[in-house]
Amino acid sequence: MWSSLERRLAAFVFGATLLPLSACGGRATEDVGSVVGVADELVIAAYSAPREAFERALIPAFEAEWKRTTGRSAKVRASYLGSGAQSRAVIQGFEADVAVLALESDVDKIARAGLIPNDWRTRTGANGTVARSLVVLAVRSGNPRGLHDWDDLGAADLEVLTPNPRTSGGAMWNLIAMYGSAALGPGGSAEAGVDRVRRVFRNVSVMDKGARESLVNFERGIGDVAITYEQEVHVARKAGRNYDYVIPPRTVAIDIPAAVIDGYARPRGHQALAEAFVAFLRRADAQPLWADWGFRPVGEAFAQPSHAAFPRLKADQTFAVAALGGWKSVMPSLFATRGSLTMAIEDVQATR
Amino acid sequence: MTTTMTATTADVQPRSHSFPVGRATLRALAGGFLLVFVLLPLIAVARSVVDGGWATTWQALTSRVALSSIALTLWTAAIVAVVNGFMGTLTAWVLVRYRFPGHAAVNAIIDLPIAIPTLVTGVMLVVLYGPQQPIGAWFAGHGFKLLFAPAGIILALLFVTFPFVVRAVEPVLMEIDADQEEAAATLGASRRRTFVSVILPALAPALLTSCLLTFTRALGEFGSVVIVAGNIPRRTLTAPVYVFGAIESGETGAASAMSLLLIGLSALLIFAADRYARRRALRMGAR
Repeated sequence: MWSSLERRLAAFVFGATLLPLSACGGRATEDVGSVVGVADELVIAAYSAPREAFERALIPAFEAEWKRTTGRSAKVRASYLGSGAQSRAVIQGFEADVAVLALESDVDKIARAGLIPNDWRTRTGANGTVARSLVVLAVRSGNPRGLHDWDDLGAADLEVLTPNPRTSGGAMWNLIAMYGSAALGPGGSAEAGVDRVRRVFRNVSVMDKGARESLVNFERGIGDVAITYEQEVHVARKAGRNYDYVIPPRTVAIDIPAAVIDGYARPRGHQALAEAFVAFLRRADAQPLWADWGFRPVGEAFAQPSHAAFPRLKADQTFAVAALGGWKSVMPSLFATRGSLTMAIEDVQATR
Repeated sequence: MTTTMTATTADVQPRSHSFPVGRATLRALAGGFLLVFVLLPLIAVARSVVDGGWATTWQALTSRVALSSIALTLWTAAIVAVVNGFMGTLTAWVLVRYRFPGHAAVNAIIDLPIAIPTLVTGVMLVVLYGPQQPIGAWFAGHGFKLLFAPAGIILALLFVTFPFVVRAVEPVLMEIDADQEEAAATLGASRRRTFVSVILPALAPALLTSCLLTFTRALGEFGSVVIVAGNIPRRTLTAPVYVFGAIESGETGAASAMSLLLIGLSALLIFAADRYARRRALRMGAR
């Protein structure tokens, strides 16, 4: 008979072996102990979506280039968390040199805490954006339910997956895509936008806490359609999971901002390396690496990327958050506790 | 008389001195540990509620989403406490009274839910009961949604809190003398009567305390629930997941207010259970 302690220990080991099953984020890349002290170090606070692009392509390429141009070895380590959580962690003392987040407003929060200069957008050009993506509809292979536009998601007997906007930056992009596609353009209005969100949310029965979790549930066979980033579908394809995606006739272009966190990088002597990394992320020769992992290029090539994996976009198929007044106006009017979309979602769910 | 007194003190003394440090040090250590690791975090939560102001707190707790999440949390936890109270007692009974092949294995499995990260529990349940899996599909075919519905919350909570009642009731059952039952039987009591008037009263304090513990543990469960519930406001959003949403949206005041409500409710229940158990123990001792 085992003692109680042994029993608990065995149980814990059993539990730990199951752990990799869970699709939770937050893994920091491992430290290569021998290099530390000799190498230039850089710590990145990132959100979850660019993990594969960073780990498999961008970080190795940057480290190689740094070695080539300066003769010094660099060790770049990244932590991946939800955008909001990551931004809070940095404000509360997680000493990262660079922030790469899902929302401009999460970078602004760090700026308001005095760690990033307020002019971070203009400091590096391209409005601080290093890569882009789109909000798309992930559908089962062959699109059996014939889903092409947002209003199709309101059809009877359809199950839609989208993460919770209160816990996921990605979910906010999804809502902006739905809302903006009806609110902007000729004949559009705020009411039409809210109405579209309401119709889609009648079919939402699972709101996972993060964008990744939501797509993992879709891959498990839950739901008919998942609202997600184009880039997430490409990453899933690389991992051998096959399903299709549809780009709605009108959707939002996602800007992924990056900024050097001066408040931590400067005193630690990482400023030069941090600036080089952010500049590298935006450079033309880094764009194919981003593209390999599903991100669209910044600038002109966004709608017509040379990379074969991306469908071409029609003129006017995408809009920017700026068209809705930018995050500064969208956050209070749509997403606050009494924001119109928050209220719409709460209304819909109770009437079911 | 004097000798007896001396004997008694002599009996007691060595016990308190068998610890290598003095009484004052012991108290300071225990008190300090409690203060630093338990009380301080609780005070921090309470403080952030005060900082947020009463208006924020009131608004946070009485919004329609908050109210429905509290209601959902309370009724699912109550069902779980009752079901696990019953099934836990039954399991403890089987473990204590019967020897069967695999007894040791069953005994070991009972503690597993405590050791498994609750996030894994959630993932496990989705893999097992998901709508695309045989069991979930069968239920869905009969018009019953297992996961991403309150039923899923209950399934997760049943799993996570299972050991509490079993482990609390088990030692009490072991202590009940077979003599008492035999005496009752000899006096002509039926098996049911024996259970109701001999075993149940002895079990009651442990059963009630552990049911309340189950209930309070269920009130706070997050990791597994966030995965299986669906988290739809006013339908499948529980209070701990509401707290998580508030934190992620930067509404610290609302998060703290709801947390404090959950903590207060738990504290009240644990305190009540403790008092009841003590009173009960005193009465039993006096008999």
